[in-house]
Amino acid sequence: MRPYFEKMPGFGKPLRENRIARSKDSRASLETVEAGIAALRKEREKVGIPAETINARGGLTIWQRLEYLVDPGTWHPLHSLYNPEENEEGTTNVVDGLGRIAGRWAVIIGFDNKVLAGAWIAGQPDNILRVTDLAKRLHIPLVWLVNCSGVKLPDQEKFYAGRRGSGAPFFRHAELEQAGIPILAGIYGTNPAGGGYQGITPTILIAHKDANIAVGGAGIVSGMSPRGGFDVEGLEQLINVTRDLKERPPGRVETHYNETGFFTHVCDEERGVLDGIKDYMRAIPAYDPMFFRVAAPAEPALPAEDLYHLLPFNQKEPYVLEEILARVVDGSEHLEFRPDYGPEIYTGLVKIDGMLIGVIGNRQGLLPAGYPEYADYPGIGGKLYRQGLIKMNEFVTHCGRDRVPVIWLQDTSGIDVGDAAEKAELLGLGASLVYSIQQVDVPMMLVVLRKGSAAAHYIMGGPTANRQNAFTLGTAATEIYVMHGETAAVATYARRAVKDKDAGKPLEPIAAKMNEMARKYYETSRPAWCARHGLVDEIVDLKALRGYLQAFAGSAYQNPKSICPRHQMLLPRIIRG
Amino acid sequence: MAVNVTAPMSGKITEIFCKVGDQVSNEDELMILEALKMENPIFAPADGRITAIKVEPGAAVESNQLLLVIE
Repeated sequence: MRPYFEKMPGFGKPLRENRIARSKDSRASLETVEAGIAALRKEREKVGIPAETINARGGLTIWQRLEYLVDPGTWHPLHSLYNPEENEEGTTNVVDGLGRIAGRWAVIIGFDNKVLAGAWIAGQPDNILRVTDLAKRLHIPLVWLVNCSGVKLPDQEKFYAGRRGSGAPFFRHAELEQAGIPILAGIYGTNPAGGGYQGITPTILIAHKDANIAVGGAGIVSGMSPRGGFDVEGLEQLINVTRDLKERPPGRVETHYNETGFFTHVCDEERGVLDGIKDYMRAIPAYDPMFFRVAAPAEPALPAEDLYHLLPFNQKEPYVLEEILARVVDGSEHLEFRPDYGPEIYTGLVKIDGMLIGVIGNRQGLLPAGYPEYADYPGIGGKLYRQGLIKMNEFVTHCGRDRVPVIWLQDTSGIDVGDAAEKAELLGLGASLVYSIQQVDVPMMLVVLRKGSAAAHYIMGGPTANRQNAFTLGTAATEIYVMHGETAAVATYARRAVKDKDAGKPLEPIAAKMNEMARKYYETSRPAWCARHGLVDEIVDLKALRGYLQAFAGSAYQNPKSICPRHQMLLPRIIRG
Repeated sequence: MAVNVTAPMSGKITEIFCKVGDQVSNEDELMILEALKMENPIFAPADGRITAIKVEPGAAVESNQLLLVIE
């Protein structure tokens, strides 16, 4: 298949001076949002007690552990700003992302030991479930840096129980292990109750000498039997028991290394634990990337810096999707699938680090005259019509057959609506796409370049409507909502306006409510809000986008669940015809 | 040779980035046509000099209406 992949047709054109000049303000707006996101990320890293205090106690912070553990330049954070329950701590108290350890990709997560000694807090279980889902979808190891004091007791009602409560990660660990995905845990500090189960459920447990894991910690062991209230005599007894347990907490190394043997290894030094994880990472099954490369890796022929002039901040301004794509894929080369069909959608094969990836994205701007063919009105990019929906179904299905991971580039205002659209079967074709995506079982990632809206956000590889989405990224221009705020205000208040008008009531109050609704939609669809509430897994700088694509491709091809010999692939042959 | 640049669909011209006499290159952005809620750029179809501009900002235009001429 060398003739297909070694040198694909080039695409993309160098930026023109005219375009650079015209897009200066847009670039400034994008960079302002990116700077704001970076500031929020920095603020989040500083939460809790200072690193110096942790270091003075002889420990490392989660950030220092990650820096030592992860291969330089390969850390791709996820959920940096995730805080869906608006915790006062400003975090879900876990830090996670994709990174390489000893040359292999892993999903890495650790408790922030600067905040409440790494306690369980609200929103955290959902953060952890995203991470276990990610490891499962990419079929790569999950690495835990456990340092968890257990439940933040005053808030337990927010996250302890329920289908997606804090215990759910334990059985998710079992699911990963049953799927052949190892979980490596480095264990530090005191890990009672929930922390204990976080520590015991992974596959390999490497403990620091001062670590412990236990069904219950000193706090509850000393107060297990409720007596109907508290008095001074009872408190005196409590103080004595607590002092003793603080000196000798349950589940120490002498128990879980010497007696039970739960701990695989015990290390005297903090960094020794991380060295142990590196050793085990070297021992896990992982293909050398050369195994699946269809060509030598190559940087894009066009610079990533151009993206700031190509992706307009102004949502009303169209752009050429292929120009964006040409800045992030190897050699700025591609094999486009069905270029003459479904013009609102791009589908094609590209290479990322020499590995084959399918790409699906929304084109923008005016569509050719006469399209959509079923209607008497013109089509516009960003919307989905019959041919585009059919083309996406076909392409996804072919990618599944050929075992090619898929990247979605989404900027969509929705599926076409109205009688003509219904007759053209768009409702059924949208549902078909959800079915096709579920059917193919290959890893997918989504970048919401600008707009993610209506059902189109679901069906175009969105995280809501399938199990193949490994993670979703947003940009400085991302906005996600069911529909534009002004559209929603019209849908909500139009009938009321008619009634009030007929009743002779003033219309100003309704206009004010409509403006308020539109404002709320605007505020709750901005990039930082999307990141905080998990509508995306991370907002990334445009110049950092290719790094995430590389992390995705490297992870997806590291140890795939199934493979297709390249000479047996159909999609390249269909494209060539 | 004169090249006529026409409106690809009906809409409103919101911005014009060129003037008569300007030398332009193929694919330079010349003006913005607002249509279907989008601000669609009108690109130069060829290198040349602008010899006539037939619309002004704010003008409503019909599909295929002449916008400008490049020689």
